[in-house]
Amino acid sequence: MRLLPPPNARRRWLLGFVLLLLTLAGCATRTPDLAREAPSDLPRRVELTRAPFFAQEAYQCGPATLAMALRSAGIAASPARLVSQVYLPERQGSLQIEMLAAARRNGAFALTIAPRMDALLREVSAGSPVIVLQNLGLPLLPTWHYALVIGYDLGRDEIVLRSGTTERLVMTAANFAHTWGRGDYWGMVALRPGRLPATAGEDEVTAAAIAFEKTNPPDAARRVYAAAAARWPGNLTLRMGLGNAAYAAGDLPAAEQAFRQAAQRHPRSAPAFNNLAMVLVEQGRTAEARQAAETALALGGPSRKEARATLERIAEAERHDGRVNDGPPGPAHPVPR
Amino acid sequence: MMLSKLKRLFIQLVAASVGFCGIAQTAQAALIGTEQVAKSANPSKDRARLLAQLDRPQVVAELEKHGVARKDAVARVQALTDEEARMVAKAMDRAPAGGNSVIGAIVLIFLVLLLTDILGFTKIFPFTRSIR
Repeated sequence: MRLLPPPNARRRWLLGFVLLLLTLAGCATRTPDLAREAPSDLPRRVELTRAPFFAQEAYQCGPATLAMALRSAGIAASPARLVSQVYLPERQGSLQIEMLAAARRNGAFALTIAPRMDALLREVSAGSPVIVLQNLGLPLLPTWHYALVIGYDLGRDEIVLRSGTTERLVMTAANFAHTWGRGDYWGMVALRPGRLPATAGEDEVTAAAIAFEKTNPPDAARRVYAAAAARWPGNLTLRMGLGNAAYAAGDLPAAEQAFRQAAQRHPRSAPAFNNLAMVLVEQGRTAEARQAAETALALGGPSRKEARATLERIAEAERHDGRVNDGPPGPAHPVPR
Repeated sequence: MMLSKLKRLFIQLVAASVGFCGIAQTAQAALIGTEQVAKSANPSKDRARLLAQLDRPQVVAELEKHGVARKDAVARVQALTDEEARMVAKAMDRAPAGGNSVIGAIVLIFLVLLLTDILGFTKIFPFTRSIR
C-alpha cells in the first residue's frame, strides 16, 4: 500500500495549496497596514511603558482608562474617584463627552484627536497615550469599550494597549482598525497644562483652551494659553485668554503685556483695547487707560457696552485722582494707591 | 403723622436703592471674557466644522457614492453665509449620535436636504433660495 498519493495527484494538491495561499495573501494585503499609513518621519516602534495600569472593574472601562491617561500626564487620579464623574450605572458605560469634561475637571488639557490612524500614531510617538473608543462587538450588537493606546510597532503591524483587565494587550493593526473604526475613530488625549497635542489644529486647541479655562485655576489656564499662543502667535483669542488668565491670577503686568500685544497685532479688536484699559486703570495709569478705552469705544462692535462701563470706571478713578491732587494739603507724601 | 413718617422712610429707601443701583452699574466694568472674544473673532467656526466633516474619508466616500465630488461639496459649504453655516452645523448636532449613523446624517444634510431645498421640494432650511 502506498501512503502517499500518486505524483500527479500530489502535484495537483500542491497547486491547490499554493493557490489558497495566494488568495489568503491577497486578503491580507487589502487590510490596512500601519507602515503604509504612518508618516515616514515616525519612529518604527514606540511603547510608553511608563503609562500606569488600572484593571477595570465590572463595566467601568471609562474610569479606569481615564485614570491611566491622567496619571500618565502626571495628574493624581484613581478609577474609584472618577466613577461618579464619568460612569452611568444605568447605561453601564461612559459618554465620550463626559470623558473629555472629566479630564478637564481633573486638571488635564483634553481634546479629541483627528479620526485617523496617522494622528493616533503621531500622538503616541510624541509621548501621549491616546484614549480610544472601540466597538468590540458587531455594528448591530455593539460592545463599546474604552482602552488606552500606549504603543505601536510598524514592522510587526501591531498596536499595544492597556485594555480592560489586560495590562499589555497586543492587537494586530487590522483588528484594531476594525474595532476602532466601528467606534467612529474616536480618540482623545489628556495632557499636562502647557503641553500641546502633536496633531490638533488651531481651532480645536483654541476651543479646548476656552473650555479648560472655565473649570481650572487661572495659573493652569495661563500655561495652556501661553503654549498655544506661542505656537499660533497671530491668534487673537489665545492672546486674550493669556491676558485674562494672567489677570485672574493677579498678575497685572503680565496681563497688560498680553493685551498690549493683542491690541498691536489686532488694532481693530475692541475687546483687546477694553481689557488693556481695565488693567491700566487698575494699575493707576488713568491717562493711558482713557486713551485705550476711547479706542475700544470708537471701534464699536458688540463690546460697546463694556467699553462704556470701562470709561465710567476710568472717570471715577480720575475724580479720585483729582481729589487727591487738588484737595487740601494732606500728608507730605502722595497718598499711596 | 404716622403715615408721613412711613412715607419719608419709604422715600429714603427708594433713594438709597437708586443710589446703590448707580454704584452697582459702575462696578460692572469688567474684562471681556475669552469666550466672548472667540465668538466675535471667529464667526465662521461653524463653516470650519462643516469643512472638517469633508475631510473624513468615510464622508467623502459616501458623498462620492452619491455622485458628489468632494470639491463640489466644499464649494457648496463655502457659498453659505455665516448664518447659514451655523444652521447647517446645528442640524448636524441634532443628528443621532453613534457609529455610522453620524456619517449617514451628514451626507443626508449635505445632499438631500440642501439640494432639495434649493430645488424647492422641501423647506427644511429656511435660508435656501429656491430655484423655482
